[in-house]
Amino acid sequence: MNIEIKGNPAFAYAVIDLEPNEYLVTESGAMATMSSAIDLVAKLNGGFIKGLTRKFFGGESLFINHFINKTSNQQRMTLTQPTPGSLVCYELNGETINLQPTAFVACEPGVNISTKFAGFVSFISGEGLFKISVTGKGKVLFGAFGGIMERQVKGEMIVDTGHLVAYDPQLNLKIQMSGGFISSITSGEGLVTRVEGDGRVWLQTRNLQGFASWINRFF
Amino acid sequence: MDISLEYNPGSTAAKIRLDENETITAEGGAMIAMSSNVDIYTTTKSKKGGGGLMSGVKRIFAQESIFFNHFTAKQGSGTIYLGTSLPGDMQILDLTGNKIYVQGGSYVASSEDVHLETVWQGAKNLLSGESLFWVELSGQGKAIINAFGVIYSIDVDGEYIIDTGHIVAYEEGLNFTLSKAGESWLSSILGGEGIVCKFKGKGRIWCQSHSSTSFGQQITPHLKAIKS
Repeated sequence: MNIEIKGNPAFAYAVIDLEPNEYLVTESGAMATMSSAIDLVAKLNGGFIKGLTRKFFGGESLFINHFINKTSNQQRMTLTQPTPGSLVCYELNGETINLQPTAFVACEPGVNISTKFAGFVSFISGEGLFKISVTGKGKVLFGAFGGIMERQVKGEMIVDTGHLVAYDPQLNLKIQMSGGFISSITSGEGLVTRVEGDGRVWLQTRNLQGFASWINRFF
Repeated sequence: MDISLEYNPGSTAAKIRLDENETITAEGGAMIAMSSNVDIYTTTKSKKGGGGLMSGVKRIFAQESIFFNHFTAKQGSGTIYLGTSLPGDMQILDLTGNKIYVQGGSYVASSEDVHLETVWQGAKNLLSGESLFWVELSGQGKAIINAFGVIYSIDVDGEYIIDTGHIVAYEEGLNFTLSKAGESWLSSILGGEGIVCKFKGKGRIWCQSHSSTSFGQQITPHLKAIKS
């Protein structure tokens, strides 16, 4: 399988070449174009009850798609995400990464996807009640609204709410006010997330709520 | 006429250099800046297009402006810059007697000898998520189209699937029907792909990397209602 990301940072999309008998696992609705020879099978994302719980409480899709090349030739497809922004193709080699539910786009079959309860800290900080944890061997595609920057956390780092896209599992998230009570309200930063530990974080340079509240002024 | 694209693909503008007495026709509202010796003449029809007010009304359904602006350089050459409302790419199309169908809303401008017609492509467009009317370009010359996101082309010989909301333009020789992604309707619907466009024939399709409809659905929950 060959995965190429084009259009970064503003309008990223992924071009995927599937070899005979290969398949790609994607988020619901991610396909933009594909050869008509590729078949699609929608599968329940985990068990039925678990899937329903995640759909109604985590805002996630109930189904996950398998795009299969059943022909004897290479077949091409392209994937995209609903928002403009960047895509990252990360190759897992046994380790685990946590993703925000909306960040997941696609992965190779060797990658295990599980949805986990992310805790109320994550919910309050605007990152959702659930997180997706990807592990195993293979490439994972994830995306964001805006550019994606990878940063190394040593000890701790403060991240504004709504900007965390992915993080290493050994990191702990805590919620706090950005400064004192008064400055937290007046600085426009309000609540922030304190990321504690040693590991990597992937941050998005924009957030959708911020963009929406800017547009809202014109209504 | 010399057309070049700047600031692509994120926020593309088209720079058009016109020789003396040369004209370019653009959709109403597309002009960003121009030399002071460029004249604007506004009509409800393209120079070579048929119809009058009715074709203007049809263009509303094609999500285009009723009016066309014709820009002509007088007393020497002139330059004009064109832009669009959505962030994204533009593409210059060469017409050499062939026909190209452009998604309503994606037409930006065309040179004088390009014929422009708003065409109805059947009730399938009610379900396809594309606009009901398409802009049919024919004749000789250049045209500029725009998109939400990056424009990339796919050369089809046989069949190809394009998800609704990602078609910008396609050449004659191709035709599309509404279909399913993969072999089963059930998977296509459960998998969130729903109805897709299946192209058949031979020719080029220009696709946009992003769908403005999908982005709209994503941002709507965060928008507040209009104050009345």
